[in-house]
Amino acid sequence: MEHGKDLKAVMPLTALSVGDEGEIVEMRGGRGMLRRLSDMGFTPSARVKVLASCPPGPMLIGVRDARIALGRGVAMRIMVRERR
Amino acid sequence: MITVALIGNPNVGKTELFNRLTGLKQHVGNWPGVTVEKKTGKCTYKGEELEIVDLPGTYSLTTHAIDELIARDYIVKENPDVVVDIVDGTNLERNLYLTLLLLELEANVLVALNQWDIVKERGIDIEVDKLSELLGVPIVTTVAPTGEGIEKLKEVVVKAAKGKEKRRKVVLGYGDDIEALIKKVENEIGKDTSLSSKYPLRWLAIKVLEKDDEVLKMIEDSPYRDKIMEMVR
Repeated sequence: MEHGKDLKAVMPLTALSVGDEGEIVEMRGGRGMLRRLSDMGFTPSARVKVLASCPPGPMLIGVRDARIALGRGVAMRIMVRERR
Repeated sequence: MITVALIGNPNVGKTELFNRLTGLKQHVGNWPGVTVEKKTGKCTYKGEELEIVDLPGTYSLTTHAIDELIARDYIVKENPDVVVDIVDGTNLERNLYLTLLLLELEANVLVALNQWDIVKERGIDIEVDKLSELLGVPIVTTVAPTGEGIEKLKEVVVKAAKGKEKRRKVVLGYGDDIEALIKKVENEIGKDTSLSSKYPLRWLAIKVLEKDDEVLKMIEDSPYRDKIMEMVR
């Protein structure tokens, strides 16, 4: 892999804790899923922040100045790199 | 009677603007066949009667969500005289995405730049004239809670309905490769006048390339179906 070094830091959005911020690296899913996520503002390089989390239920994510609730299954498909 | 559709992202003050425009002259029902609320209302401006339809709040116009499909179908099939796109002025990046989708639909779009008080309060600098020029549509700044800009909005809606507002057709380019493909698909769909007379050709072509369920269904019945589908495989 060309970004071997970065790969370690990439994790699913669900791995972040409340208050953590990250940057989207990639989204995994079919055409419909990717379309829907990008319509809501989830795109590679977009910054996200976990605002609330109710395991094993949904998460509230701040992205592009809006708050979007995501099911955990969907959030798991969004790969992020944590920002400090 | 001028029909006006209100559209916008969730939480931009759309319903408040609708209430401002229509006052108590509202009717709440359902969109046919689905339990999504349909609100319509009436108002007048200098003797012109406006019928206002509040479309569901959406980020996009795909067919995957029922509210988005309702909003899109209304614009595509009912052809309102004017579509007022309510944009949260404090969040242009997110909101203008829907605006671009509406322009692609070739709707008679007008932008209400709402929450203008907060825009000023936060010191956000928006060159409204420049934005209007870039998008090729009229823009009115509004503050829904106080009613600021509402009369101006009605005035511009009436003008736009009568084709008296300046507008420029803005085409969002997708780069040479995709544009070439769009052109090819356009040419083929264009031969089917039952489609091209009803819907914007470029929009149909783009949706075919996106494999949009509803548009593919329309193509299904076309005598040119095989040739069109061959191009997008």
